[in-house]
Amino acid sequence: MLLIECPWCGPRAETEFSYGGEAGIVRPLDPDALSDEEWADYLFYRANPRGAHRELWNHAHGCRRWFGVERDTVSYRIAGSFRLGPAGSETGKGANTERDD
Amino acid sequence: MSEAMAESAPDARVDINELPGRGFLNVRLDPRDKHAVKSAEQVLGQAMPLVANTYSSGTHRVYWLGPDEWLIETDAENAAALSGELGEALADFNVAINDVSGGHVAQRLSGPESRTVLAKGCTIDLHPREFGPGQCARTALARATVLLAAGSEPDSYTIIAARSFTDYLRHWLTHAAKK
Ligand SMILES: [Zn+2]
Repeated sequence: MLLIECPWCGPRAETEFSYGGEAGIVRPLDPDALSDEEWADYLFYRANPRGAHRELWNHAHGCRRWFGVERDTVSYRIAGSFRLGPAGSETGKGANTERDD
Repeated sequence: MSEAMAESAPDARVDINELPGRGFLNVRLDPRDKHAVKSAEQVLGQAMPLVANTYSSGTHRVYWLGPDEWLIETDAENAAALSGELGEALADFNVAINDVSGGHVAQRLSGPESRTVLAKGCTIDLHPREFGPGQCARTALARATVLLAAGSEPDSYTIIAARSFTDYLRHWLTHAAKK
């Protein structure tokens, strides 16, 4: 089981969280101006990298806040957590958390 | 403990009691707004805990639920009046105060084995060194979301959960205490 560091509550078991997919997807300001292809890209296409992945998690059983986690998709090792805010304002990077297995 | 002993001494290790007459208010405000925090504290007569996973005790219990969210446990009779007083004192601030008394039930779990029983369904470290008096955590107990608080006496906990989970949690705790 992963041990995930909530930026507010500290390290908690993976079962307290729900996964929210890739972080940093910005909703287009003017969807009407997009082609179908661009809109589909925003809605459905994700990077799915092998390696470092910045992703969203929600502390569903805890403080219920969304936050970001950087996780390696191969080793599942978590490099750290970060709070969400306006682009470029990420703060509160959590302590490194090791995989707890 | 053997099966035979467990059968002959059911529920001997923990006591589970619903706390009667409790009322609950959910409060949302931005703690960076010091005036709002102070106004709330003046009404409550006690601190709004700003440290994660802690609660303050006094006339009421004020639990930290999230970085801008608290749960106030008070006498059920007093909840509506307190909600009104808070609403009045905080009228000029960007806050939300909701009486959630109907949706919540508090149970007290006590007895020398209460920590062992809780640990069967809860992943947080319940050792008093990590989770002692004044500390609380919203977490999962037997897959149900609960607010768990360590009591001032050793081996006593308050479990606040949605009313619809109360029977389930009591049954789960009773069962967990038997084996
Ligand atoms: Zn949290």
